[in-house]
This record gives sequence, C-alpha cells and structure tokens, in this order.
Amino acid sequence: MLRLPKFKHLKPASLKETLDAFDENCQKAQVLAGGTDLLVNMKHCLYKPDVIISLNSLSELSYITEAPDGSIQIGAGTNLTDLTENPLILKKVPALKEAASAVASWHIRNMATLGGNLCLNTRCWYFNQSVSWRKTREICYRLGGNLCHALPGSKRCHAINSSDTAPMLMALDAVLVLKKKGHERQLPIQQFYRDNGAAPNMLDPGELLTEIQLPKTVNTGKTAFIKMSKRKGIDFAAGTLAACLKKNSNDKVFLRLVLGSMHSAPLFLKKAEQVINESGLTKGSIEAAATSARTELGTLTNLFTSAGYKRELVPALVKRALTSIMNQK
Amino acid sequence: MKQILSLNVNGDDYQIAAYPSQTLLDVLRDDLRLTGTKRSCGTGTCGMCTVIIDKKAVLSCLTLAVECEGKTITTIEGISNPDGTLHPIQKSFVENGAVQCGFCSPGIIMTAKALLDKNPSPDEKDIKEALAGTICRCTGHFKTVEAVQKAVPNIHKESGNDSEEK
Repeated sequence: MLRLPKFKHLKPASLKETLDAFDENCQKAQVLAGGTDLLVNMKHCLYKPDVIISLNSLSELSYITEAPDGSIQIGAGTNLTDLTENPLILKKVPALKEAASAVASWHIRNMATLGGNLCLNTRCWYFNQSVSWRKTREICYRLGGNLCHALPGSKRCHAINSSDTAPMLMALDAVLVLKKKGHERQLPIQQFYRDNGAAPNMLDPGELLTEIQLPKTVNTGKTAFIKMSKRKGIDFAAGTLAACLKKNSNDKVFLRLVLGSMHSAPLFLKKAEQVINESGLTKGSIEAAATSARTELGTLTNLFTSAGYKRELVPALVKRALTSIMNQK
Repeated sequence: MKQILSLNVNGDDYQIAAYPSQTLLDVLRDDLRLTGTKRSCGTGTCGMCTVIIDKKAVLSCLTLAVECEGKTITTIEGISNPDGTLHPIQKSFVENGAVQCGFCSPGIIMTAKALLDKNPSPDEKDIKEALAGTICRCTGHFKTVEAVQKAVPNIHKESGNDSEEK
C-alpha cells in the first residue's frame, strides 16, 4: 500500500501569509493545490518535503474576471471543472475549455487547479516509478545524478512536460503573474518553460504562480486543440497540439502552433507556422506544414510511445488541427 | 504530530486525531471504519475511492484528511434512504447486473450520484465522460453505463415523491 511520507502541514489564511511561509521554508517546502500530481509523486517518494503549504483555503486565488478592456484574468487556484463550466470562458475562450476538459478524468478535474496543471512536474519512464523499481538504477539528473536513463549520453534530463493547458495557453499568448515575498513579476508563458526536465520552469525558490492573464485579443482567432493518449478518459498525452490562427490588419494570417507532451517544454512548430503564414491556409499548405513539422522535432524519447510513432503522429495532429481551423466559419 | 480534526461524514460529526500525512481514505477506512469506500491504486487512476465532497466527486486517496475540515463529505454508506432501502442508482446496479465482484461499485455509484445530482438528465456521452475515471476489472463497463441511464427516471420519481411529501 502506498503511504505518504510524514510532513508538517501549513494552512495559511491569506496569500501574504502563504508567500511568507513559502519564503521561510522554500528549500524544504512544496505547495499543495489540487494534490493530484504532488501527492502521487510523494507516495512514490520522488520527493519528501518537510513542509506542505496548502493553498486550498485561499479563495483569493480562485476567480475568473474580465477587465473593461476585454482581457481575462484567471486565478491560479481556479478549479479545472469550474473553469470548463465558466460562462465567460465558454463564450470567449472555448479553446481553453477544450484543453482543460482534456486533463485526466472528471474526478481529477474536480480536484485539480489551472495553476497546478501549468506547474505540473515533468514525467519520465525511469523516474515516475516505485522506490524499489528506481533502486535498481543509478540516480539520474532529476535526483542530482549525472546521467539520463531516457537518453543515455545526454547532457540534461529528458523528462516530459505533460501539461494539457500549457500548449493552448502558449498559443493564446497568455501572461503569467509570479509572486514571491515582496516581489511580483509578469512573464509571458512562452518564456516560462525550460527545455530541461530537471528544472522545468522559471519559478524561483519561494515563488508562486498566482494568475494567468489572457490578452484582450484572445477571442479574435480561430483555435484548435487535439490530445492523443492511450486511454482517453484519464491518461497523460502521447502528444497534444494547440493551434491559434489570427489575421492581422492587412488580412495576412498569423499562426501559432504548439506541440505538447513530447519534450521537456512545449515546442513551437516554427517551420510549420512559417509555411502557413507565407501561403495562407489551403489544402496544399496544410500538407506542406505537416511535412515540415516532422523535421523540427529534435530528439524524441521517453513516455508512452516510440519515437517512430511520434514522428508519424505529429504531422497527423498538424493536419487535423489545421483542417479543423480551415473548416471553421 | 497528530492533529484533532472535525469531519462531517454522511451528516454525522466526528472528531478524530490524525497525522497530516493521512489521506481522507485512510481516515474513513481505518479510523471511522467506513470501509465501503475502497482502497485500490492509491494514485488517482482507478476511481474506486470516490467520495463526494461539497457536491463534487473526488478521489479520497489523493485528498488529505486535514484539508476536509468544514466540508460536507458523503460516502457510499450515506446515500441509501433513511429507511435503509437502497438509493435508486444502487437499485439500478443490482437490477441491471452492473455488479460482478462489486469492488468497483462504490466508486462508480458515487461518481454517478455526483453526476446525477449536478445534471439530472445526462445523455450517454455525459455518463461515459464522468465514469471514464473509474475502472471495473471484471469488464462491466457497458452494464454500468446502462445502469446509470436506467436509474435516471427512478431518481426523478423519488425526488418528485420527496417534494410532494414536503
């Protein structure tokens, strides 16, 4: 039976108290929101924080508002089910609803938060395993070792970013608000992830993601989101693709195409974007974009399917997403 | 160190001493002896430990007991009628053969109850989406979906009776 290791549980009553507590304990604490990722990893003893700082009593992190200029602010503690049912999100950002509904199962969405999904820890065949399983191998980059089992010879950790909402929010140009004691900064989500599985995001010690901001132009584009996973009801993705197509003032198209769950950070498919930006959205250009997407995948390793399958999967996802956008009115 | 927790389970108030590292499932089964809620994967993939907290179906194996103070918790023991007769969903599971070994039934029934409380007339897709987070190892998924569909009119009937009585 899987048991949680012992820890001290803090339940701060306000965001300020939370940031103070996190600052004081930043080396030995983890923050707990929905717990659907953290507690599973703790049960497998992937980490043993001395202190757990609970965000669950902080209602000030759970909100969805629209500013007068049309931009949308979402609290990082907003529950995923609440997000998928929010009238404002359904009306103005249906793409985010699609992505959030693709996360795991209904039960898990009832517990998980948007901030938690964005800060999801990276996953690996060789790391997300039981204690006894891991004991049979040398420690890897994730635990301070000097090798990567997923890609032997590599200079970094190749664990996978499995967030479903991150690629979509990257395509939608979201901005994240990060707070720590006495300091607040805004960071475009495109700069939030690092292509290093052992240090997957830009959060400083003691820093907390508190808000996700969507620009006022968020509902001006056509979007598509596709997730491919083995068991649709719950599994982490073998690949996700988020697309957002906008038109600028002189009627030229501008595409964002983000591939998720294949690398340590979501990846912009720049060559495929360029093909569409140059020649518009036609049947022919979609084929060309799909073919060029195949050439910019870099190293594919780790989790669920073989590299060969993924290389075939990406063009198929690109074709489906762009065709769906082309068919939208 | 253990903490004293006040929990409201199935309408009853309990005070128990528990470690922060104890999940709600541990407390329900080991301390309160409410063993209807089943312990299975422990990692959130099977849905057997589903309980309803504040109207939402959640996994008690991934919920800390200390986080549940001040919330309303309902387990499988708390859904039958006051006279001891089965809840319409339970009845439907029995009548439609949706139970084989029965281990997954509490989790699936609690999931179905949360769904029907929220959406009194779900279509097949809604039911399948809600039940997707549960696994029946005896292969009974068609029957469970069917049982939930057949429970829908009975729930309407019972809630109709309730309102007449009031």
